[in-house]
Amino acid sequence: MKKIRLLIVFIGAVLAPGLGRAESVVEGRVPLPKARTAPVMNKRYEIVSKGGVVAMNPPLAVVYLEGDFPAAAVQPVTQMSQKDLAFVPLLLPIRVGTKVEFPNLDDTYHDVFSYSAPKRFDLGRYLPGEKPVPSQVFEVPGLVTLRCDIHEHMRGLILVLATPHFVITDTEGHFRLGGLPVGRYVLKAWVDSKTTLERTVELKENSVLQADFP
Amino acid sequence: MKTTGRIVVGCLLGALAMPARSSEDFIDRLDESLSVSALGGAFRGRLSGSLDLEGYFFSQPPPGLMVASGPELFAPRLSMFLDVQLGEKIYAFVQARVDRGFDPTDGGMEGRFDEYALRLTPWQDGRFNFQVGKFATVVGSWVHRHGSWDNPFVTAPLPYENLTGMWDVAAVRNGSTLLRWAHVQPKHFPGDAFADSRFRLPIIWGPSYATGAAISGEVGKFTYAGEIKNGALASRPEYWGSDEVRWDHPTYSARVGFRPDERWTMGFSASAGSYLLPSAAPTIAPGTSLDDYREVVLAQDVGFAWHHWQLWAEAFETRFEIPTVGDVRTTAYYVEAKYKFTPQFSGAVRWNEQVFGTVSDSVGGRLPWGYDRWRIDVAPSFRFTPHVQVKLQYSVQPDDLGAHDYQHTLAVQFTVRF
Repeated sequence: MKKIRLLIVFIGAVLAPGLGRAESVVEGRVPLPKARTAPVMNKRYEIVSKGGVVAMNPPLAVVYLEGDFPAAAVQPVTQMSQKDLAFVPLLLPIRVGTKVEFPNLDDTYHDVFSYSAPKRFDLGRYLPGEKPVPSQVFEVPGLVTLRCDIHEHMRGLILVLATPHFVITDTEGHFRLGGLPVGRYVLKAWVDSKTTLERTVELKENSVLQADFP
Repeated sequence: MKTTGRIVVGCLLGALAMPARSSEDFIDRLDESLSVSALGGAFRGRLSGSLDLEGYFFSQPPPGLMVASGPELFAPRLSMFLDVQLGEKIYAFVQARVDRGFDPTDGGMEGRFDEYALRLTPWQDGRFNFQVGKFATVVGSWVHRHGSWDNPFVTAPLPYENLTGMWDVAAVRNGSTLLRWAHVQPKHFPGDAFADSRFRLPIIWGPSYATGAAISGEVGKFTYAGEIKNGALASRPEYWGSDEVRWDHPTYSARVGFRPDERWTMGFSASAGSYLLPSAAPTIAPGTSLDDYREVVLAQDVGFAWHHWQLWAEAFETRFEIPTVGDVRTTAYYVEAKYKFTPQFSGAVRWNEQVFGTVSDSVGGRLPWGYDRWRIDVAPSFRFTPHVQVKLQYSVQPDDLGAHDYQHTLAVQFTVRF
């Protein structure tokens, strides 16, 4: 009997996040800012100069549904790598409580740190392929700016959200956010640290809502 | 004490009052606005900089390369950097400064172009680079962290700033002269007790931004670098430019490095070149040339970094060649450690020492040609934001002029980088 109860609790925990959803979808477009100038690496005192071109992503936005959602049953784990002296991806939206690993995929040291209020940390210098992979758990919603203490030009962003419903736009600003619960919510589009757009949406069962941001 | 102290305290209060997020955003946006790109990203340029406000409190004479008549010194410095990347193969940089002298002085403000260089990188695997211009020496490992943001301390390690008795404006004629220059006493310069410091040289003057050309590269776990410059490692900043001293008596320097993995760096450096200025030619011994008055430096460096620890050590074996006296030698080294206690708070400690060989005196004996010296530096630092930090440094060393007396120096440095 005890085993059956445990099985029911387990099934419930797995299915609970999906209850109440009716596969509502919202899609639209977010106006994106102009692409930034690619950074220039400071190589003044490097005996060896390599990698004159720094990879750069175009601006992207994060669209998310704000609301009161149950906590994740299992701690989500994701990665933000350092590759070719840049953060990959440059922008990482995560849910509160997510553990982010920071694997070093370059052949040189990195020292990732953040002084942002939602999460202050400094991983120290760590080797390419170092095990265990340095990681941090992000418990407070907000924007976390990542930098490298060795490579001044490196910058990455982690957007910690109190919702499981988010998506990154494509480079044109288009987004499609599926698997949403029905109801009335605020849909937000994070564009940069100064700009978050929002609009109210009414999500109906098995429908696709077109919701462009002005 | 009051003026310098007030300025420093004002800066600290300003930093504390500044909303971290907004100041971080502001400087990030400033950074973006100071970057340009053209030709589809093939040409990219970035203007950046740092503002340093430094305060020093010390007993006379001022330590190292500082020049000041009082017990305190306020030394502001604005440094501007231009980094330009043209395609993958061409990189150029410029460093311009406005301050009270290359080394802190109580003189007026002045502006200089301290560095400018063009680097060609034909192959992207880093096997070979060629650089020409006015730039930091390839010798040793301190150059990589000599900037105020990266240096765990306010001042340089002892070998980079401790004055020996050697002059560049005149050649030593005999041992007695060198001993007098090396053991200066206030009575030698009545009214200006330490006036001779303007003639004296360290074994390596800071990052030694002399003018010339360099090659460098990486082959497997080894790195190499070689340079030809217009001034010796000991040469003073006023003579690093190509207008002041030509290449008639060049200095050759090289470094070979080994990096078994990212944690360790090891290097062996060598340098040789005339330490006398061309204007000293009338004072050299008959039948000799300026090239007979060489400074020869052999240096070793080792570094270790892992997680929140960083350790460095360098040792310099230096020989100044004096045809009329013979070679005089000095050995200097330091060991430095830094640890990050929290993401924003770090601490560093450094042990420095320099010892001098002997030279014949006028009565048939031998005496050291300098004051043997040790110095301990302790420096906590705090970063308010990724762009604002403050460092404190306390240093203690024996006083040359009084037995069992110690010279204490307190330094504070407030830096905003953008």
